[in-house]
Amino acid sequence: MLELDRITKRFGRVTVADSLSLAVRPGEAVGVVGPNGAGKTSLFGIISGDLAPDAGEVRFDGRPVTRLDASARCRLGIGRTYQVPRPFEGMTVLENLLVAAEQGAGARGRAGLSLAIRVLAETGLTELADRPAERLGLLHRKRLELARALSTRPKLLLLDEVAGGLTDPEVTELVEIIATARARDGLAVIWIEHVVRALTGTVDRLLCLAAGRIIGDGRPEEVLAAPAVREVFLGTDPR
Amino acid sequence: MIMGLVTGIVQGVLLGGAYALIACGLSLAFGVMRLVNIAHGDLAVCGAYLALVLATGLGVPVAVTLPLILPIAFAAGVLLQLVLFQRALRGGVLAPVLVTFGLSVMIQNLLVTGASADPRSLDGGRLAMAGFTIGDLTLSWLRVIGFLLAVAVLGTLHLLLRRTAFGRRIRATADDLETARLVGIRVRPVFACVAGIAVATAVLAGVYIGLTATFDPYAGGLTLIFAFEAVVVGGLGSLWGTLLGGIVLGVTQQLVGLWDVRFAVLAVHVLFFTVLVVRPRGLLS
Repeated sequence: MLELDRITKRFGRVTVADSLSLAVRPGEAVGVVGPNGAGKTSLFGIISGDLAPDAGEVRFDGRPVTRLDASARCRLGIGRTYQVPRPFEGMTVLENLLVAAEQGAGARGRAGLSLAIRVLAETGLTELADRPAERLGLLHRKRLELARALSTRPKLLLLDEVAGGLTDPEVTELVEIIATARARDGLAVIWIEHVVRALTGTVDRLLCLAAGRIIGDGRPEEVLAAPAVREVFLGTDPR
Repeated sequence: MIMGLVTGIVQGVLLGGAYALIACGLSLAFGVMRLVNIAHGDLAVCGAYLALVLATGLGVPVAVTLPLILPIAFAAGVLLQLVLFQRALRGGVLAPVLVTFGLSVMIQNLLVTGASADPRSLDGGRLAMAGFTIGDLTLSWLRVIGFLLAVAVLGTLHLLLRRTAFGRRIRATADDLETARLVGIRVRPVFACVAGIAVATAVLAGVYIGLTATFDPYAGGLTLIFAFEAVVVGGLGSLWGTLLGGIVLGVTQQLVGLWDVRFAVLAVHVLFFTVLVVRPRGLLS
């Protein structure tokens, strides 16, 4: 469903993607780990359309989308969360989801409202529906970030450290929300996470990224055990 | 004395409504696109000239020309956004200011060439002279209608922004452009519509100004300053703040005018500077 074909992206002398190729199948859940500066978030930018690659092609559902902007790619079914949540601060939680449902999922009128209300319930935000986003704490901001992405009804969901900064029980709840959404809609997920523990129960495939290249790709336990992967984590145990 | 004060305040509030009517488009364009449109006042003056030409040409009252003028103004705003502002906004903070300043100079010169520098006014017919009295207070119907028009426009914009899917799109885009794209919003049409609405409200205000005072090709500059001050005093990006800002300016102007007319406009500018120093984010923020 998603194919990256020899993507290259440089910022000055820093290479964040070095002729990187990757294919993700429908419904697949792929975890991404790697040291800071490995190019994980840039990879998401290239997939979601926030960032234009210097070379290479991005294909989604078999069609090239490299030249489409983030808005068009969202409407095709690529949803994304930001590492630091960026809700529409002046709008309520419900309005945040409504605008995503109306524009991203193309659900107008009643359909948009019922989609937004369903996502509210799934993400445990129903009671906060009328609260302005600027008055939410970190946990709820993280949830809203996820809820907003889900409201665009994605086929592929890009999760950028949704578990970062949360306590263990909060992480567990978030993982469950994602698992529920996957079970119902069969959406594919690419998930960047420092909290590897959050990944291992969910993903069936793990990528390790370093210096813009994939140095590990396979079953999570195999990737985490590979010498090349252990080396980039500089002796720290990624598990 | 007391009656004079009351009259001053009421006249000031009515005048403030007119300021808010000019200012709301400026506020909207800045709030959504971060566009400081120096040509906003000149576009308003264009509206007054357009009404003049149509009303004399077709031999109809000014009000009748509005259904024709407003769609033209909206289309002009859309076109300006797509052809000019959109490029300028990509060029950093200064580019839109310079580009709209250039547009302002161009409009003024075109108006001088096309209509000469003579002061003009729009003929409001019987309405222009009509008034009514409440107690000792005499009010002009035209002023009251202008104020109600401003409140109606601001109220409509408020409902549009708060209650409709289109409004949510505008607010989301104003809030965070990148996130707006991320949830599938087509940003270009949103910007184009906002520019269209901004110019349409400016032109409506221009026609109203033309009915209450004389105007010439250079009137846009002063119009812009008052609009700009109303926006800043009220609080950037807040529509009701803009109304409050307009009213504060209008009342100040009228009350100081009671004391000495020469200082009325100066007092407005002094008030503006004071607010800028004491509450740089405006009264309502």
